[in-house]
Amino acid sequence: MQKAKPMLNSSPSPKLTFRHLLIGDWLTIIASALLIGYLFHTLWSHQHAAKVQIRLGNKIYATYSLNQQRTVHVHGPLGDAEIHIAQGKVRFARSPCHNQYCVHQGWLSHTGQVAICLPNQVSLELIGEKKPYDSLNY
Amino acid sequence: MRKWLFSLSFIAILAAGAFIFSTYSREPLYHRQSYIFGTLVDISIYGEPDARASLLTNQIFSDFQQLHDQLHAWKPVSSSQPSELGALNAAFAKGKQPVAISPQLAAMLTDATALSVKSQGMFNPAIGQLIGLWGFQRDEFSAVDINDDSIRKLVNAKPQMTDIVIRGNTAYSSNPSLKLDLGGYAKGYALDRAAEYLRNQGVKNALVNIGGNIIALGTHGDTPWRVGIQHPRKPAAIATLALDDGWAIGTSGDYQRYFVRNGKRYCHIIDPGTGYPVQHTQAVTVLIPPQANAGVLSDVASKPIFISSAENKAKAAAMLGVQYFMVIDQQSNIMLTDAMAKKLEWLDSDAKSKAHVKLVALP
Repeated sequence: MQKAKPMLNSSPSPKLTFRHLLIGDWLTIIASALLIGYLFHTLWSHQHAAKVQIRLGNKIYATYSLNQQRTVHVHGPLGDAEIHIAQGKVRFARSPCHNQYCVHQGWLSHTGQVAICLPNQVSLELIGEKKPYDSLNY
Repeated sequence: MRKWLFSLSFIAILAAGAFIFSTYSREPLYHRQSYIFGTLVDISIYGEPDARASLLTNQIFSDFQQLHDQLHAWKPVSSSQPSELGALNAAFAKGKQPVAISPQLAAMLTDATALSVKSQGMFNPAIGQLIGLWGFQRDEFSAVDINDDSIRKLVNAKPQMTDIVIRGNTAYSSNPSLKLDLGGYAKGYALDRAAEYLRNQGVKNALVNIGGNIIALGTHGDTPWRVGIQHPRKPAAIATLALDDGWAIGTSGDYQRYFVRNGKRYCHIIDPGTGYPVQHTQAVTVLIPPQANAGVLSDVASKPIFISSAENKAKAAAMLGVQYFMVIDQQSNIMLTDAMAKKLEWLDSDAKSKAHVKLVALP
């Protein structure tokens, strides 16, 4: 093993960088690791849903990330349903159905939440890392 | 150089581990939905190859579709052919001439009659005319003009399940105002059929959901199937519970089929005694332990509890042998039995803090 030389040259080899980590470097690494752990816990492992699965009739129509601003049009048996995705939440904005129960459901944001438009056969289900339940009783 | 090799092999081992983990963690869960019975049917099968699960699901869906056509209270199969139930209703309205009835429908009506008697007529599938009058025998529920005279007449005519006389392969009604609507029975019956079919086919683990009524077979892998109970006024689940092998759960709510007229909500659950929709209750959930007709009970047993006044709800539950139930009244207060409370895991923050939650004793 060659003894390491002081870091005078401008592009140190990987070997050298590891050996010459100072206490401040270690503190930075530990702090970053803690921060990543904290962010992972608050942003990821919570029940906040990551995606919305849109179903039309018997089929999965599409799956979208909730992390965006987007309007989706789904053409059901009754007509055009308008679905709004807005940074972590989703709702039926417009529906051609008579009773508008689906629109009145409002924003959904947590894993497992569903909005179903029975007349137009369009449903939204929020999916995420961990599903709090397998099926919904209503 | 050796250090590089070491790091590289370390990374390779990690990657291989992650790959193996991801393949193993892809669980053998098959899931499909369809619109039948005017509602969403949702089937999960665990631990069967996808191809087999798909065939089984197809079979269940087509069986449900057949039941739907046979038992529909107002839609004919085609313009020239009424549903079996429709034809029977037409014959009932005409007079006391016995007409042919299938053994299957006869068995259903006999069972429904027994449950109706047990519930002292609060579960009453004979009030199809009242349900029609309130506009709930349509695909969409718009506000109707309330005709108090017609309602009074239909209530006074007292159509009861016991008015139906079944002899061999024929049936007639001694009451011409009797019109069957199996809306509070058929989905539960279908659940029992699906569960029986899956068991006969050797399926160990499945979850069948018909419009919110759910029956469980086995488990979801290492853990029991978990079911969320919808909050009647929020777009979220109020609680979850483990639905063990053979258990069924059903909810009657005023939020699935209703219309609003002059600011008042009129739901599809009609008190046969008054002829008017029930307005004091938002939702009733019943949990039924394993038994031959767990599905039927999960559908039927919530109705008498829903209809009864607050002080009579526990009595109504006892009539049908229900020990696990939860009531959410019009003020969103929660009443539930101790047995039910032990099963639930609250999600709703109000319920979690035990505000507005009251235990009720069974008689």
